[in-house]
Amino acid sequence: MALSPLATGAVTLPVEARKLRQEVRDFLAEERAAGTILGRPDSWLTGWDPAFTRRLAERGWVGMALPQEYGGGGRGNLERYVVIEELLAAGAPVSAHWVADRQAGPSILRHGTEHQREFYLPRIAAGECFFSIGMSEQNSGSDLASVQTRAERTAGGWRLTGTKMWTGGAHINDYAIVLARTEDSEDRHAGLSQFIVDLRAPRIRVEPIRLLTGEHTFNYFHLEGVEVGDDALLGRPGDGWRQVTGELALERSGPERFLSTLPLLTALVGQLQRAACSPEQHGRVGRLTARLASIRQLSLGVAAALEAGRPADVQAALVKDLGTRFEGELVGEVREVLPVAARFDATRGTYPELLAAAILHSPGYTLRGGTNEILRGIITRGLELNS
Amino acid sequence: MSTQSLFERAAAVLAAADETDATSETNKADGTDGTFGTGALGRPAASAPSLWRALRAADALPSLDTDPAVLVDLVCEAGRRATPAPLAETLLVARPLLAAAQLPVPDGPLTVASGPLDVRFAHVDTGSRVGPLGAGGTDDAVRVSGTLSRVPWARGADAVVVLTEGPSSGPMLLLLDAGQCRQVAGTNLAGEPRDELVLIDVAVPAERVRRVPAALVEEARWRAGLARAALIAGAARRCVELTVAHTSSRVQFGRPLSHFQAVKQEEAKLVEEAALIGAAVGAATAALAEPGAAEFPAWIAAAQASASVAEIARIAHQLHGAIGFTELSPLRLATTRMWSWRDEDGGEHAWQRRIGRRVVAAGGGDRLWPLVTGS
Repeated sequence: MALSPLATGAVTLPVEARKLRQEVRDFLAEERAAGTILGRPDSWLTGWDPAFTRRLAERGWVGMALPQEYGGGGRGNLERYVVIEELLAAGAPVSAHWVADRQAGPSILRHGTEHQREFYLPRIAAGECFFSIGMSEQNSGSDLASVQTRAERTAGGWRLTGTKMWTGGAHINDYAIVLARTEDSEDRHAGLSQFIVDLRAPRIRVEPIRLLTGEHTFNYFHLEGVEVGDDALLGRPGDGWRQVTGELALERSGPERFLSTLPLLTALVGQLQRAACSPEQHGRVGRLTARLASIRQLSLGVAAALEAGRPADVQAALVKDLGTRFEGELVGEVREVLPVAARFDATRGTYPELLAAAILHSPGYTLRGGTNEILRGIITRGLELNS
Repeated sequence: MSTQSLFERAAAVLAAADETDATSETNKADGTDGTFGTGALGRPAASAPSLWRALRAADALPSLDTDPAVLVDLVCEAGRRATPAPLAETLLVARPLLAAAQLPVPDGPLTVASGPLDVRFAHVDTGSRVGPLGAGGTDDAVRVSGTLSRVPWARGADAVVVLTEGPSSGPMLLLLDAGQCRQVAGTNLAGEPRDELVLIDVAVPAERVRRVPAALVEEARWRAGLARAALIAGAARRCVELTVAHTSSRVQFGRPLSHFQAVKQEEAKLVEEAALIGAAVGAATAALAEPGAAEFPAWIAAAQASASVAEIARIAHQLHGAIGFTELSPLRLATTRMWSWRDEDGGEHAWQRRIGRRVVAAGGGDRLWPLVTGS
């Protein structure tokens, strides 16, 4: 039974999860001392550090919800939740394995062939194999079913032609999961399929799209007649839409949807601890803290529901809208609490520089993962079906 | 004994007392038969005792060892139904405080009040040293004078739990019979009783007095905050229900309001804000199981619930159009209550400052995140 949007239920994390949280915090304290964690906003998007990823993998914290027979940790999604929320809250550089851990791994486990599982999953869990997502295109943002990239049958497999956009990390990752049209159909949700494409294959051209900060994470990713074998197909031909949308709840409700700017608030609290703090400043910090804690509970509720196999698409959309709006509000509020001119050219990791990074990243929070205005339609539709 | 759970039995009683539910057959709008009357605006003195009778008759009155999670759910339901009785005050505040202070817990509707009062020992120990507050007593029997203002449901309650400063410094918990106080009727924005209690040299026997630790005063505060948050969570849910029913049935320009994008955008935010309160209250409720862990989550719930009221009421009224702004619609029963409840027992600014002080003060380093995760 689907959850009521207004009652996700409280989640009490198991005792093992508490122990795990402490282990992660101990690890993070060591890393912080070693200077590998700068506590930056949006570290899951821009904090690319394969060496850090491998140290996480040594502790079993990459692909930790994948089964042990494929090299994973065989642990529950709630335990994975604890690990990733700790990493994000600290602003740790997790973008290298982010997509592999969150999407590619679970997707290959669910839809992949035995050969694909054996080939990719142990490498993902070892922190040695990084993925990009090849879904969006120039004319297919929120309206994903309108993808133009095509895959045509060849003698030994498929030929992919088209241009993907917003493909994060395509210039540094190993593979991309590409959504392509394999068949024309009256039903626009039919005839789509997913492929695992080697980003170093011939006839692939990656072209950077720079963010407002000048950072290079996104790309155009041109598939100019890329030949792939039969074994590149992920799942069944024509099932692409179902496979993609089946993972959206997980993608939209995770801690990365409300913690992207938390390091900035942490930095602010650090500044306030060193100064006399007014009741007004206390109040604003308290307002943000209450909202953060409440959104986290909603997000945990979705994670617990998904773990129990209950659909939670509406709740996930709701968490995404609330959480990503909060990420932006936080930046505005922090400016009010401690008015400091944002400076992107200030020393990296200082308060004015973190503020600048958060401001320059802020338009993205409510866009990525499904534009919030579109998600609100999912929420109201879900309500009407429920009532 | 019915096979329904206590919650289901009690919820049925609250539904029957819900004057906003037009389909309820037991709804007695005139209140002449002594049942529920017109709720808070009508006969609140009678409505609380009659609700208690109905709960007892349905074997639905929670006992002292009822699971706190069930109590919170019930209080949410009371908020949703605009129940005209001090269920929140009795179940989530008065009873637990009395039990913690090892005072007897009366069976009927209770309320809670706190504030400075003139408290003197009834049996003065003539051998004791006379301090700034007077002589000591041979026992804890006291005589109390003063005024307690804005006491919820005082006129419908059997007894009042009073937290005040004792005669020899340190807080004291008193259990007063409602009949011992003069009552001056007052109401909140929703017409719920918020009465003044005037105490003129009221004698309280020692067995109804307890000196309590400062922690109990704090507990009284966060319990009251959680109780208000649970009520607001219920009223917020009602706002969502009424708004969705309205926008999906009201046709303008040839289609239901809910088909307009502009309406969808606002309605989604309404749902989100209500869900946020529900989650915060849920977390605070879960924390009740662990002694000592409940305070911060209760502050969070109180702060978030109070802070979300403005947006919820704004959107619910805007989407209802003019009808929601009149007595023709039951929406006001939820929104006027929320507007009152957010200010009672604190108000979001007080809760937010309390949270902020804890976050900023807590011994250097990053305490924000550990406070949020509760570990």
